[in-house]
Amino acid sequence: MRQPKIIVVGGGLAGLMATIRVAEAGVPVELFSIVPVKRSHSVCAQGGINAAKNQKGEGDTTQKHFDDTIYGGDFLANQPLVKRMCEAAPGIIDLLDRMGVTFNRTPEGLLDYRRFGGTLYHRTAFAGATTGQQLLYALDEQVRRHESEGRVTKREGWTFLSAVIDEGGIGRGICAMDLRSMEVKTFPADAVIFCTGGIGAIFGRSTNSVVCTGSAQSALFQQGVDYANGEFIQVHPTAIPGEDKLRLMSESARGEGGRVWVPRNPADKRAAKSIPEAERFYFLEEWYPKYGNLVPRDIATRAIHRIVYQEKVGIGGQAAVYLDVTHIPRETLDRKLEGILEIYEKFLGVDPREEPMKVFPAMHYTMGGLWINDQDQATNVSGLYAAGECEYQYHGANRLGANSLVSCIFGGGIAGPAAVKYARNLEKGAEAVDSSVFAREQKRQEELNQALLSQQGSENPITIWKELGEIMTEHVTVTRINKNLESAHTKIKDLQARYRKINLSDRTTWSNQTLNFARELDNMLVLARVITVGALCRNESRGAHYKPDFPERDDATWLKTTRAKWVSNDIQLTYEPVDISQIPPRPRRYDAAK
Amino acid sequence: MSATATRPETSYLLRKLHSLSGIVPVGAFLAEHFWSNSSVLVSGPKYDETSQGLQTIPFRLFVEWAFIFLPILFHGGYGIYIWLRGESNVTQYPWMKNWLYTFQRYTGLVAFVYIGWHVYTQRWLTHGMSTYSEVAQQMRNPWAFGFMVVGVVATSFHLGVGIWNFLCKWGLAATVRAQRAAGQLGAVVGIVFSFVGILIVVSFRYNWHPFASYLTQK
Amino acid sequence: MAEGKQVIVKVKRQASPKDAARWEEFALPWRPSMNVIICLRDIAEHPVTREGKQTNPVSYDSNCLEEVCGSCAMVINGKARMACSALVDQLEQPIRIEPLSKFPVIRDLTVDRQFMFDSLKRVKAWIPIDGTYNLGEGPRVSPEVQEKAYPLSRCITCGNCLEVCPQVNENNNFMGAAIFSQVRLFNMHPTGAMHAKERIEAVMGDGGIEDCANAQNCVKACPKEIPLTESLAEINRQAWKQALFGWLVG
Repeated sequence: MRQPKIIVVGGGLAGLMATIRVAEAGVPVELFSIVPVKRSHSVCAQGGINAAKNQKGEGDTTQKHFDDTIYGGDFLANQPLVKRMCEAAPGIIDLLDRMGVTFNRTPEGLLDYRRFGGTLYHRTAFAGATTGQQLLYALDEQVRRHESEGRVTKREGWTFLSAVIDEGGIGRGICAMDLRSMEVKTFPADAVIFCTGGIGAIFGRSTNSVVCTGSAQSALFQQGVDYANGEFIQVHPTAIPGEDKLRLMSESARGEGGRVWVPRNPADKRAAKSIPEAERFYFLEEWYPKYGNLVPRDIATRAIHRIVYQEKVGIGGQAAVYLDVTHIPRETLDRKLEGILEIYEKFLGVDPREEPMKVFPAMHYTMGGLWINDQDQATNVSGLYAAGECEYQYHGANRLGANSLVSCIFGGGIAGPAAVKYARNLEKGAEAVDSSVFAREQKRQEELNQALLSQQGSENPITIWKELGEIMTEHVTVTRINKNLESAHTKIKDLQARYRKINLSDRTTWSNQTLNFARELDNMLVLARVITVGALCRNESRGAHYKPDFPERDDATWLKTTRAKWVSNDIQLTYEPVDISQIPPRPRRYDAAK
Repeated sequence: MSATATRPETSYLLRKLHSLSGIVPVGAFLAEHFWSNSSVLVSGPKYDETSQGLQTIPFRLFVEWAFIFLPILFHGGYGIYIWLRGESNVTQYPWMKNWLYTFQRYTGLVAFVYIGWHVYTQRWLTHGMSTYSEVAQQMRNPWAFGFMVVGVVATSFHLGVGIWNFLCKWGLAATVRAQRAAGQLGAVVGIVFSFVGILIVVSFRYNWHPFASYLTQK
Repeated sequence: MAEGKQVIVKVKRQASPKDAARWEEFALPWRPSMNVIICLRDIAEHPVTREGKQTNPVSYDSNCLEEVCGSCAMVINGKARMACSALVDQLEQPIRIEPLSKFPVIRDLTVDRQFMFDSLKRVKAWIPIDGTYNLGEGPRVSPEVQEKAYPLSRCITCGNCLEVCPQVNENNNFMGAAIFSQVRLFNMHPTGAMHAKERIEAVMGDGGIEDCANAQNCVKACPKEIPLTESLAEINRQAWKQALFGWLVG
């Protein structure tokens, strides 16, 4: 029998899980990553991972987890995969536990669970406040074991440029670039799994890592892989503003009892700690008595925006609110939240155990992503699969905290075997594809590089990127107004025109980060338009997508998945029905029990 | 699978032996040596008596080579090999333990040279029959006296740090707290040995016997 | 650029592994809460030296910018540390930025730390699970053990502990403190302990624990405050016990 070969692009949680599953099936797998996989962005996830293990005797069930996820996502998620994910979650926790993840423990030696946003149950397993790091390392270690036993080949320091798609429209491998030698090369494979993560860089500053540009997704989109629900962007309510990055302050701070407030009088000059209880406005607790500080992220973010921009009572009149954990015993903080408190302390020089933290919402996550089916993570192009944040299936219009880690591992876990099955059933493998198919793609990519390296222009790619970030953050995040979205779209198109005239400040052919960034920027601009156009067209408010001019959810017209296609070099939006076969939609409100 | 051998490599055992030999027998011998030589603090004849006692132990040559000379040669020789494998960076990272790391190498070298000279003059040239008068004679040379003081202090420092290293490197002091205690123990040993050593050297040079009164009490 | 407060930065440049290193100086506009990454980004946007000479942007590694991915380790003002948490206002100027010296330079500040990942392979730094299929819950672990293990598992493989170690250099293959700390982590886990012997054999090999000389710089340089010297002591103990009793009693 023919031995198939699989490629995984991206070494975060989803990519590593997919790799492990393919290796376990005895199929050779090549793992591509821009950074050493241990440095992938999953490392930044803080709070925890959800699974309804009901270990606090609250009567939690996987069905309730499923319901919370669908309800939290404002009914936009297709239900079959979400249901399967919630049912698989307890098994995923067991697996991670067996891999040696240093989860916090109860006195009995069992896993401890905490509360997270959008649920009333203690459902979130955690390892301090660096759960993503611990999970990533556990999978990284397993992949390293497979690697040392010869089943996995890692290609770290390579960036994905494009898929190789043959005349029959079947994915046959990838074209990638070595970030040291800048060599462009094609790699044949019978199936490729994309686990290329988030798109934060499109918004300039976000809670995402530097590599989260969405470039791979955009390149695939421009090759015919559809992109779904792009307009659904999660803005996390609590982050520390910074010029280089908006550093996340995990929801777990509130899960452990942290409270969000502002002084009732914005002119109050007193230190936070000396402001008496009566003069503090705990707006989340007042507005959402049932869920309080643990309302879903879209709700909390809009509440903070309302406080700052409408009520104009941000701290000292500025764009900031307090996230206060000072009332929690030091010992608890150090045991359960040290990882994030340390970040605040290091970057701001203030001890959050003593002083309430000053936070503000920040772009955090994309619910939308590459279109995949609701069975096995396959995209609309045969042979190409996607898992993790880069696809759209699990979170609807708003992702619940601590669901991303579980969706990455679940998605990667089913994409691996699905790709193997597909590859084994292929009549004609990548090895039988004419070499001209690969040569053509390689040439196309080499020419793009050559053009960028040789052209003399007047525009600076970093300046274009900064402007893109400002446009996107201002108009395409929390509050969306059609005329602003229209002008944002025009401005992005202007940026695309200016991009044609960029001038690289580095024209060398060794470890040229400027060239790589320029290539990513080109792709970011396209994806930015997909997001903006998607937002412009969707005239309703649902989950993270909020339009004051259309404040209500409109199921009659808009209970639909946006599916963007690349047709004659332009974006074309189509819509398809959402699978609501399990839980019928109902109004979503968090001020009372649902 | 990997190149790792299925049993500990000899280099590991040699390194462990180096660490151990610094404590036993070399460190232990140093303690014994200081103890016996302390008899000079009572009187010259008392020193000669102790010296005589040691000179007449059975299997003397074997004991000397097996428990003193060879271990010191090994410890010193292997120590230089270790030194060559490291590259001190104390100017860039002037942290206390990094200073100790660097000093440990220089004091080791000083101690090694000093011990060589000491054995040559006091063991070799005397054919193992060192007497009070001969040592006192040598100590009247200010250079010999100075070298003796430097040698005694370097050796004591090296032993003190060595004890700390030994306890850490064998995992006998594993926690931060235990390692701090081990450091304190090492410091005490280093200081006490330096002090006693200097007393002995001074006793020879200045014909000064602070415990002479013990004799009259008899 | 003349008005306003400036930040003076000197960067050690090296075009490729074959080229010689040289220094370039930059003057950047000061802003509140700048870190070294922001300085490098400023240079990338306007790659002009203080003397007004056009140059290339500085090549460097960075990713998470919150000291958890381990990418941006550099030598800043002579000290190995993470560039993202190196705040300009806390640094003496001119700020001197160099690549880590214990790893091969690729270009400018980017270095190749594959040695560390290879070392993790050598010491089998993983829990050998039977498979990812459902085999029920993992072993129970007391909170006490978890509290010891968790700090060790926060190691970001940044390489700072190797950079500051006098024993890590071209004369030997010493794997460095981080690796032994990982061995301790896996030997501590109930399942990992079943394979402790293999790991200890590996640390008794070339570049193994024997080369630690207790300078204890590692623990001072660790950005995650991992108790590396405790790990080294612990692995030392496990190693000699295995060397001695493994041979004596099997």
